[in-house]
Amino acid sequence: MGEKKWAEVRPSEDYFRILNPDGSVKDGAKASVPEVSREELLRWYEVLVETRTFEAMVLRLQRRGVLSVAASSRGEEACGLGAAAALQAGDWLFPAYRQLSAVLYWNAPVDRIMAGLMGNTPEHIREHLPLPPELPHSVNMMPYPIFLGAYIPLAVGCALADKLNGRKHVSLAFVGEGSTSEGDFHDGLNFAGVLESPCVIIVQNNQWSISVPASRQTAAATFAQKAVAHGLPHERVDGNDIFAVYDTVKKAVDRARAGGGATLIEAVTYRILDHNSADSSAVYRTEDEAEYWKTLDPVERFEKYLFNAGVLEQATKTAIEERAEKRLREEIDRGRAVPPTSPDDMFLHHLQGEPGWSVKHQRDELACELAGGNPFLDMTGEGVQ
Amino acid sequence: MTRINELPVTEDMNLVTAVTHTLRQEMQRDPSVRVMGYDIGPIGGVFRATEGLFDEFGPERVIDTPLSENGLLGVAVGMAMRGERPVIEMQFLAFMYNAWGQFIYNLANLHQKTGGAMKVPLTIRATFGGGIKPLPFHSDSTEAYLMHTPGVRVVCPSTPAQAKGLLAAAIRSDDPVVFLEHTKMYRSFREPVPVADYTLPLDKCRVVQEGSDLTLIAWGNMLHYSIAAAAAVAAATHASIEIIDMCSLAPLDVAPVLASVKKTGRCVIVHEARRTAGPGAEISALINEYALEYLKAPVKRVTAFDVFFPENQIEDAYLPSPGRIKSGIEAVLNYQF
Ligand SMILES: Cc1ncc(C[n+]2csc(CCOP(=O)(O)OP(=O)(O)O)c2C)c(N)n1
Ligand SMILES: [Mg+2]
Repeated sequence: MGEKKWAEVRPSEDYFRILNPDGSVKDGAKASVPEVSREELLRWYEVLVETRTFEAMVLRLQRRGVLSVAASSRGEEACGLGAAAALQAGDWLFPAYRQLSAVLYWNAPVDRIMAGLMGNTPEHIREHLPLPPELPHSVNMMPYPIFLGAYIPLAVGCALADKLNGRKHVSLAFVGEGSTSEGDFHDGLNFAGVLESPCVIIVQNNQWSISVPASRQTAAATFAQKAVAHGLPHERVDGNDIFAVYDTVKKAVDRARAGGGATLIEAVTYRILDHNSADSSAVYRTEDEAEYWKTLDPVERFEKYLFNAGVLEQATKTAIEERAEKRLREEIDRGRAVPPTSPDDMFLHHLQGEPGWSVKHQRDELACELAGGNPFLDMTGEGVQ
Repeated sequence: MTRINELPVTEDMNLVTAVTHTLRQEMQRDPSVRVMGYDIGPIGGVFRATEGLFDEFGPERVIDTPLSENGLLGVAVGMAMRGERPVIEMQFLAFMYNAWGQFIYNLANLHQKTGGAMKVPLTIRATFGGGIKPLPFHSDSTEAYLMHTPGVRVVCPSTPAQAKGLLAAAIRSDDPVVFLEHTKMYRSFREPVPVADYTLPLDKCRVVQEGSDLTLIAWGNMLHYSIAAAAAVAAATHASIEIIDMCSLAPLDVAPVLASVKKTGRCVIVHEARRTAGPGAEISALINEYALEYLKAPVKRVTAFDVFFPENQIEDAYLPSPGRIKSGIEAVLNYQF
């Protein structure tokens, strides 16, 4: 363990907030409390519970060696959910790996997520976990990019395609604050500004990029202000306040849909746990800040609000928790029950049509090898026997 | 050049501790050596290759940077052309794709562009290779992209002691050098590494085992699989297999390969890079151009396939295994014109 660590700089709390950490509505913010139905509020709560439950289950499975790496969004769940809830069916969602709540809100199939975490190919998962033929109209969800920030230009282009064809859809993309240092982030913002792309980019600022604190990622005072140089409107919100996130993103999404162009939103939050299961944050940070941020927890805050507002009561809470636990357990079991992916899957979907001589030959080589033969006996190019 | 076996005092190290040890020694030796990258400061790298260096040398010698590979490479080239010796950590080789512009038009080209007036004494340490089942793109073995670029040296150690000598030489070289560290090998074995400082040549391959029937060429983790495969074949057939560790990938050390193949008349090249236009294609072409008359069998390449590195469940079928290498050796040994 290192002696020297980067000091943490607590971000300014001079941002848009509706719900106080104790679940009360902030003075003067009454008018901003979004108009959301009772059912929708309970749906939000359920997604928060599901997100937390699923991620905890996955971390346990990782520790037991069932899967190789797992990341968690604990303490950040309001960012993904508040933003996703502001979208409409037909819109496009580009999550990173810390927005499970966003995809669960739009009913992403958990069994398929689980099978993916187990290292199966997408083709194989599709085959073994078919979706029901009649699915409710949903948002379009992209897988998350391995290359950080790489989908920001994609989201800008995706939205542009809708705009150029007169379709009233919006694209919404997430990026971590560390990833804003990548060139792709700036390229995307610049194009979004010039081409007036109907998209919303959310920087989920959880203060850490593995071991590098946000204060060493940029010399700018906020991540929101990165929009200024690109001529885009920007907002900075309490990312642990689901109302603040929802309200801000909704306005940005509505503006984009109405032809008003792109917005950059910084959602300020904190990564309570390790970067992922391969990380051990005790090496590079103390627990002091995490302790503080636990007092700002987005789920507890929202739960308190719901109790105060009479939307939630203990019996409903228990029922939601039990239902989530049961459903997720079943989904996970279904995902784990998928038979192993066939090695031949690796050759699929690189090109449409014929893959060419070499790939075809190599595919035969692998088949020969797996059948116990020697794949290198073809000395004429006429084919593997 | 010091001979390693003349250095008596040794310490047992694995690949990652050998890298840390060498970085420390080079930083102590030369104040212009600075380690740079994201996640290399207090955490000591995600694989802990820079562990302890931040405490010992402070933030101006161990520069924890923002998260941008293109920025990191470009800024380091700017420092290098002014006489610094940056050693940058590329967390995974695939993240070099984000830095392709700086890599080619600055890092590799600056020396030639200025007619030799400017130098880029910079080292890129990049983790690469498969076998640890991480996330997609964290196992790429795309050394051919690097080798295809003029103006840059590429080396790949396969043992801790070799890593020390090659890394020290890379850091001291006035050319840009990519130093490839195989993730699967980081902690796979230890060996005694001399404590005194030494370098190994950046442009010389290494004959690991002499033989007369077949030349087997590999590097990185594949060298270890190849040694195992050769031993299995030899045990069954008494074939005499010469094994070359192609640790110097660019410039490629061609002469010993040709000499070896002229002696054995047979060659198998092993790599976990994709086959088409992979490093083996170049080596095979050189053999066919300059040693054709000596060949007793076609040159075969035992490689991964022309596809993206696959999902965890099927990566074992993608990577060459000792069994696949053994098949390649047997096919070539048994070939009759
Ligand atoms: C181009 C690229 N560089 C580096 C990495 C390795 N990496 C994965 S996550 C991560 C930190 C990202 O931090 P941030 O953007 O703040 O997102 P967070 O993990 O905090 O949600 C790094 C360096 C990567 N996946 N892609
Ligand atoms: Mg972050």
